[in-house]
Amino acid sequence: MSVHRRLWSLASGRSALIVLALVALLALLGPLLAPQDPLAQSGNTLAGPSGAHWLGTDYLGRDVFSRLLDGSRVSVLGALEVTLTALVTGAVPGILSVHLGRVFEWVTLRLTDTLVALPFLLFAVAVIALLGNGLTQAMLVTGVLVSPLFYRVSRAATLAVARSPYVEAALLSGASLGWIVRHHVWTKVLPPLAIALAQTLGTGFVIVSSLTFLGIGVQPPEPTWGGLLASDLGYLGHQPWAPVPPALLITGTVLAANLLADAIRDVSGEAGHSVARRPAPPGKTPAAPAGGAR
Amino acid sequence: MPGPVTPRRRPRRPAVRATALGAALAALLAPSLTACGGNSSGAAGNSTLKWATSSFPAHWDPVVGGSGAQFRALALTYASLTRVNEKGDAVPDLAESWKYNAEGDQVTFRVRSGLKFSDGEPVNAAAVKAAVERAKKQKNSALFGDLTSIRSVEAKGQDAVVHLTQVDYQIPQLLGERVLQIASPKAARKPAALDQNPVGAGPFTVTQVIPGTKAVLKKNPDYWDAKNIHIDKVELTSAPDASTVVSGLRTGVYNFADIDPRQAGEAKKAGLDVFVQPGYNAANISLNVNKAPFDDDKVVDAVRYAVNREEFVDKLTFGYGKSTDQPFPPGYIAYDPGSAEKYPYDPAASRKLLAKAGYQPGELKLKLVIPAEDPAAEIVQSQLAKVGIKVTIKIDKNWATPFFAKDLAFSLYSTTGRDSAVQTLTAHFGPDGPLNLSSPYQPSGFPRAVAEARRTPIDDPRYAAKLRAATRAGLDTKALVFTYSSPNLFAKSSRISALPKNPAHLNWTGVTVGGS
Repeated sequence: MSVHRRLWSLASGRSALIVLALVALLALLGPLLAPQDPLAQSGNTLAGPSGAHWLGTDYLGRDVFSRLLDGSRVSVLGALEVTLTALVTGAVPGILSVHLGRVFEWVTLRLTDTLVALPFLLFAVAVIALLGNGLTQAMLVTGVLVSPLFYRVSRAATLAVARSPYVEAALLSGASLGWIVRHHVWTKVLPPLAIALAQTLGTGFVIVSSLTFLGIGVQPPEPTWGGLLASDLGYLGHQPWAPVPPALLITGTVLAANLLADAIRDVSGEAGHSVARRPAPPGKTPAAPAGGAR
Repeated sequence: MPGPVTPRRRPRRPAVRATALGAALAALLAPSLTACGGNSSGAAGNSTLKWATSSFPAHWDPVVGGSGAQFRALALTYASLTRVNEKGDAVPDLAESWKYNAEGDQVTFRVRSGLKFSDGEPVNAAAVKAAVERAKKQKNSALFGDLTSIRSVEAKGQDAVVHLTQVDYQIPQLLGERVLQIASPKAARKPAALDQNPVGAGPFTVTQVIPGTKAVLKKNPDYWDAKNIHIDKVELTSAPDASTVVSGLRTGVYNFADIDPRQAGEAKKAGLDVFVQPGYNAANISLNVNKAPFDDDKVVDAVRYAVNREEFVDKLTFGYGKSTDQPFPPGYIAYDPGSAEKYPYDPAASRKLLAKAGYQPGELKLKLVIPAEDPAAEIVQSQLAKVGIKVTIKIDKNWATPFFAKDLAFSLYSTTGRDSAVQTLTAHFGPDGPLNLSSPYQPSGFPRAVAEARRTPIDDPRYAAKLRAATRAGLDTKALVFTYSSPNLFAKSSRISALPKNPAHLNWTGVTVGGS
């Protein structure tokens, strides 16, 4: 059974994929699906849910449902930016640290240790204060700060593969570093990286929501999930239910990302387990079965 | 240098949001922690005022703090030569009396004898002289612009003789709590220390200051009117997020707080006393006529006609505010009814003016720079969009620097007013007015009109007319579009007795907590 099929066969994986696909759809089509102009103000402020305004209106009379849909794009793009930045800045040096010699290894390890020590939310706020109020730069920096996770995961997986006999054989046969990474290392690093990716996606959503909750990263009146939650909290006495929709969207998306990470882990565990049941060649190290999965 | 300014109350949301969680936790944990220590807040007695303020002093040196809303907190520990009564008139405080000379260019304040600052230094004319000179000369003074009428102060025992640069009958109102809270001259020799450890001669003395968070004060037995102060202790706390203040009041973490209008309904439902203290608050849209596109009168007028003041009132003040087209609310002595509705809401006229100025719809783009998220900015953006002006809102945490340096072209401001009506006018319309974004521009008739108002004694029957004439002249400005007046809204426990209705001030004289 393929990885995709096994992922889909798990209830957690299936529900996570459905939720994330819906969120992606909101990000792509949200502004088009919004029934009203999310920035249009009216005199009908702080109104309850109705046929015209499914989730009521906010303090300036704007349609909350439309703002929620429109705000999806910023939240999703921000989370994706964190994840992809972390992947590129973490996984590439993580793999290369095994192959490019001791100096590169030492430098990247120390750099990673330093990055781990920095609180990323606080650092993102500092970067915004320095470079101006923009989510892009904040998410890029946050991505770099989250990258040690990818560095360590990819390095650990690469180390396990690099010492395997078939890689040594490839090296002796004159294979280039690029060829070895593409054909042997990458396939072994992919499963743990996929878990880390899903995990980081959830973290990315939390970070974007936290920053926008604090009013950082976007300029008003641009709607965001975190921003909607924050403004709703100011009017709890008028609309006690109002924070529920944005809060549900944020928590639901983060939960889906984490469920997906769990499901990928379970699926990769299954793969490893099924391979381990195969008769292992004599003298193989415990790391070798994963290397022989193909 | 920031002048004697008033921090905007509304756009503090982002800054305080960050502390909301911590404050909520503190509120939850405080009772148990203090109980562990055997020193619960109740142990301080029933006469403890627990005040949550959104204007917690960033500076405890009144010279640095300026005339903004934080003066109310500083007035707990500093006294001034004068204060205001319920009519807004100057009445004795540290000065028991004052007298102008016949020409009106000199006023002598008789300082009460036998008083001392909380560090034991005597309160006398020399202390007044030192306070004025420090406010005029200290490098980081936010008050020097308010004291241009004062040439020098001569100390003669308990008499402080104030020599003026011009005839000015506003001085007793000027030297009140907003402009001349008097610190101990000895403590003021170290301004940096004074800024965190206030030493005054007010009704309370500070026993603890946790910068930016909390201050604890106890009753000052040496205060000149100590017999009428019935509060033994004050715990002044920086208010967390507005949405948590009412909960704090309901649960007894605080028993007094300044609240946002949107919390008023919730506070009333919780059984709290919600009251409006009269005041002079006014918000405005600040334009810089020295910068394009506001160097074109037609664009300025287009903005004026595009503003629908009632929308600000409806959406931001929850029925507590008023629209205003002047730097104070209607009804104030300086409010000029003849200038009301000079630029009514008329989007069609606005669009015509823009077309005359050569701008097609959507062609004129403006950047509105503000210090923090502010619904008023979104309303301005929406109203100007309706006449074809595209506004981008930019939040600049360092907003104060370019604003007071007059580097911005387009911004928002809100003032809590001044006790001296002339000071309010010069702050907005004068060539060096801190709230005049277009300095040194001033309306042509303003200098003469404001000098006339200064020259008119406050008890002169012509005073109100002179003031209104100065307002009328000031409103010829192209630099300011006034929008609405928000209320000074407070909520308190019913155990605290009613406060005197001194406009814009909080006077604790005679106020009791818990029937003490």
